[in-house]
Amino acid sequence: MLEYQNLFTRVQVRHAPDPGLAIPGTIAGARYGKGTFSYLAGKIGDAQIGPLYLGGWGIASLICGFLAFEIIGLNMWASVGWDPVEFVRRLPWLALEPPPPEYGLRIPPLAHGGWYLMAGFFLTASIILWWIRVYTRARALKMGTHLAWAFASAIFLYLSFFFQPLLVGSWSEMVPFGIFPHLDWTSAFSIRYGNLYYNPFHALSIAFLYGSTLLFAMHAATILATSRVGGEREIEQITDRGTAAERSALFWRWTMGFNATMESIHRWAWWFAVLVTFTGGIGILLTGTVVDNWYLWAQKHGVAPNYPAQNVLTTEQLQELRGRYQGAQPGDYPTYTMPAPAPMVPDTSMIAAPPPVDGGTQ
Amino acid sequence: MNPSPNARVPRRALAVWSLLLAAGGCEFSSEERATTQRGYRGTAMEVTYDERAQAEKYQQIVNNIPVPVPPAGMSPPGPLPWQNVQVLNDISVAEFNRTMIAMSTWVAGTGNCAYCHNVLRPQDDTLPNGTPIYTKLVARRMLQMTRHINSQYATHVANTGVTCYTCHLGQPLPNGLWFYDKQTDYLRHYLDRDGARVISTAVEPSDANRSSVKQTEWTYALMISQSKSLGVNCTYCHNTRIFASWDEAPPQRVTAFHGIGMLRDLNTNFLAPLQPVYPANRLGPMGDAPKAQCSTCHNGVYKPLFGAQMAKDYPAVWGRPEWAGMPFPGLGYPGMPVDSAAVTGVPAALPPANVSGGTNRP
Repeated sequence: MLEYQNLFTRVQVRHAPDPGLAIPGTIAGARYGKGTFSYLAGKIGDAQIGPLYLGGWGIASLICGFLAFEIIGLNMWASVGWDPVEFVRRLPWLALEPPPPEYGLRIPPLAHGGWYLMAGFFLTASIILWWIRVYTRARALKMGTHLAWAFASAIFLYLSFFFQPLLVGSWSEMVPFGIFPHLDWTSAFSIRYGNLYYNPFHALSIAFLYGSTLLFAMHAATILATSRVGGEREIEQITDRGTAAERSALFWRWTMGFNATMESIHRWAWWFAVLVTFTGGIGILLTGTVVDNWYLWAQKHGVAPNYPAQNVLTTEQLQELRGRYQGAQPGDYPTYTMPAPAPMVPDTSMIAAPPPVDGGTQ
Repeated sequence: MNPSPNARVPRRALAVWSLLLAAGGCEFSSEERATTQRGYRGTAMEVTYDERAQAEKYQQIVNNIPVPVPPAGMSPPGPLPWQNVQVLNDISVAEFNRTMIAMSTWVAGTGNCAYCHNVLRPQDDTLPNGTPIYTKLVARRMLQMTRHINSQYATHVANTGVTCYTCHLGQPLPNGLWFYDKQTDYLRHYLDRDGARVISTAVEPSDANRSSVKQTEWTYALMISQSKSLGVNCTYCHNTRIFASWDEAPPQRVTAFHGIGMLRDLNTNFLAPLQPVYPANRLGPMGDAPKAQCSTCHNGVYKPLFGAQMAKDYPAVWGRPEWAGMPFPGLGYPGMPVDSAAVTGVPAALPPANVSGGTNRP
């Protein structure tokens, strides 16, 4: 345990790196390296870097993550003909796309989404292996597993983008790997399912997301504001009177009549953060499976207001104007074949006979 | 240096201005943004223009519109003296010559008759060495197309009409021509594809609509290309909370709908079939003829040429799209049966009445 100065008065003491608690068991307690110090790290956190526990799960996770990264990157590079300059220039727009709709849930060839499925498998494996690592490290330190379960909530949202396509019956619904492509997918997914803003679970997710930022700001500001009287030493202050902890509690009681406790504020923050991804995942799983058009759902349940019509159209006009679906099957995504040229006069010589060549001057 | 007391006033003013600029959003000079309400209040249906950019575009486009050629004078009496005139044979001699001069300005540069004609024998469709003059064959078809647009698509071009200049802007090749390519797949909506609709008409999923998110991205690309072609945002034609609704859409969407139908007609019946006429260097990588899209005529403006009434000065672009009984889909050929009644010295076809009060909608 080092010192209690805050960020601005912190003195960086150099000493033999602290290896941390001894943990019984050779594997569970193993750490690699002796540790070192970084001045810059000390400006924003603890100056000591390492020693680090990696372990079997960590190594497996890194290998899987590396494989996914390579598959995505090399596919993107291949998509610009292995041109390094174009790769850098177009990187934000490059993508590894999921299989086209015509494959449904079948295994496609590598070039038609096979690489995508492989990258998705390794990325998912990497994330889940990392989750195991988070869980086992917490147990090794005799901590609770709150971190692992909060992470699990995020993984649930991530996996809902895998389960929703399974439920709908098409790999093509999955999110492409790529910077702008995955943002474009977000728009397209919302438009396809009649505006995701009318999905109540999307709304809940946003409420918890914004709520999380609000709570984060309130809590962080409160602790920083009382750090001059030792506010960051939360736990040992709980039972004492006149401490930073009591002042911060009093501040909120005076301001809004109610205050959290040193323990409960973290419980609030945990639940708000966890519910962002949990409600979001539920919203995704309901989309296309239970509700196909969230706008119509919102109209049906009186959520979306009605506005006066701007176009007054007859039923016949509406019928004429209504677009047609591309087809009844998802495989009807336009394929790339050139249509035969429309019939015309077969030969330009038929359009006008060449003039008699009588001493042409050219 | 100590700040003088006077220095405080400008500094405070600067602070106020920074606040105002920050409130105005990211645009440094927010007062140049012009916003027009397009829908029911509170629905955020607005079209936003950068006034300066719009003014520059106006200068570029409208100031360059050629001055109308002076009205045609008297024509010699008697039958028309033409040889091998397959189109424009229902207007007077003087009007014909006037139209030819105007066309050279619109497409090839004023007085550049040789762009389309064998100047030694203007009636020929070939050069003196017997090579077909593809530009003349294309121009003949384009004249039919122009009349077809002006007579059949009042739902899109109203009585403003189009001339060659509307798309060509004085250049041999109009803007926005497209060929088959992986990147232009979505533009085939303007040729032989249908079904941009992806949103369901019922709350629950059903087999009636199995459109995929991939198809949605295809529709999205199509819509963004229209938005760019017209220099407007989505709310020019849609209430973006529910893109599919015609009731909540501004009337311009109906005009755009007819425009899509018009483009399909023009590409299918006029532009794509010219494929055998073009030399290889005018064809796309897959050997297809150049085709049109919204931007070909609109050039980034919601109304081509900002709605300038240009066609009203040229009777030749109005009237029957087929001449002398020539069947519509072909270019004609020697010895074709000719409706002799049409080949008389009839006065030029007249543009519809009320050309000056052109509105955007029929």
